[in-house]
Amino acid sequence: MPLSAYRLMWMMVMFDLPTVTKTDQKAATRFRNFLLDEGFEMSQFSVYMRFCAGTPQVEARIGRIRSNLPKRGKVQILTFTDRQYQTMVCFETRTKQEPAAKYEQFKLF
Amino acid sequence: MASAAGVVVEVAEDGRHLSLDRGFMVVSEKGRELGRVPLDDMAVLIATAHGLTYSNNLLLALLERDCSVVLCGRNFSPAAILWPLDGHHIQAQRMRAQADITDAFKRRLWQAIARAKVRNQGAILQALGHPAGAFEELARKMRTGDPENIEAQAARRYWPLLFGPDFRRDADEPGINGLLNYGYAVLRGGTARATAAAGLHPSLGLKHSNRSNPMCLVDDLLEPFRPMVDIAVHRMVSDGLLEVDRETKRILAGLLVQDLRTDAGVTPLSTCLFRLATSLAQVLSGERQVLDLPLSPLPLEIARGPSGKEGAHATQRVSAHVDDGDV
Repeated sequence: MPLSAYRLMWMMVMFDLPTVTKTDQKAATRFRNFLLDEGFEMSQFSVYMRFCAGTPQVEARIGRIRSNLPKRGKVQILTFTDRQYQTMVCFETRTKQEPAAKYEQFKLF
Repeated sequence: MASAAGVVVEVAEDGRHLSLDRGFMVVSEKGRELGRVPLDDMAVLIATAHGLTYSNNLLLALLERDCSVVLCGRNFSPAAILWPLDGHHIQAQRMRAQADITDAFKRRLWQAIARAKVRNQGAILQALGHPAGAFEELARKMRTGDPENIEAQAARRYWPLLFGPDFRRDADEPGINGLLNYGYAVLRGGTARATAAAGLHPSLGLKHSNRSNPMCLVDDLLEPFRPMVDIAVHRMVSDGLLEVDRETKRILAGLLVQDLRTDAGVTPLSTCLFRLATSLAQVLSGERQVLDLPLSPLPLEIARGPSGKEGAHATQRVSAHVDDGDV
């Protein structure tokens, strides 16, 4: 179902956090759980993705991530359109895979 | 944040278990995960299967986000809607204003809402090539509180023109009626959510005051939007889709993100519901004069519809009036 008037966006959060000390490990887990609470799904270890219905939502989410950053470590956020997401080429055990499920307005279980 | 994505989730298979995992609703069967949906994106959860189990934590998390949980009875008509007790920070004040509203004021508000509905019905018939001038006339003729029940007069003309002279609107009949029920259930869920988010009490209605209806206000506010369901069902029926199945449900659920115009610009229908509910709260507290009602859709908009078949990756129009739906 098209969110016709929206620019459909994806956010990709990539992070590299120190996990040598107990404190760092705790901070890393806290940040990871924060991302899950915000509805980001793990795409790979340390790479989380989320669908967003428009640029204002992306900006709001970036703001929330900023205020929940761990003290140390590196976090990068990449934003791209749904159309670009669809052109993603994925390989798993040398086999080509389709990008994870498309965004759908209606989900039936 | 109120979800701008407005995802409608339906659980229709028996034996499913719904639970909470961090920011997601997880649907599983016999311990195996079937899928997950970010809670922030969910607008309405519709439960149509009978053998479902829920975790309490999940229901609480959904209510915290003003997501409507609609429990459906037979033929997809909603039996209950879970509704958050605390949807807005000045809720108590708004509910007091709502309770204190005079009958004269109620009648005026109802007139505005019913007029919008009749005009929308007319716009839809006109787009389908029926003579619809009478509807504009009826809308204009409607007095405060609609004492002549013009709304019903309009309905008597409307249904036969839309679905043929043999059609009867009977919630227990299958086919067209089942599709309408499903569409209205989605709409009702969206409206209940908007009402809660605006801090209004759903039982204090303007026109609907049925003693057994706990959602009077919700039923009042969704009236102008019903014709959008009707035209979608009409389009499906012309395409030969008469069953309430995955395809038709997907189209009907998509209505919540279909664009509509109000005086404030073009926004998805679910946002228009928020606007209407919020404007009612503001009118009650004297912050504004008129309700933010949807304007009649233009024939071209009706012809285009929610283009259900194209999927999420169809052509993206970027409107100048878009907002993100966070109300």
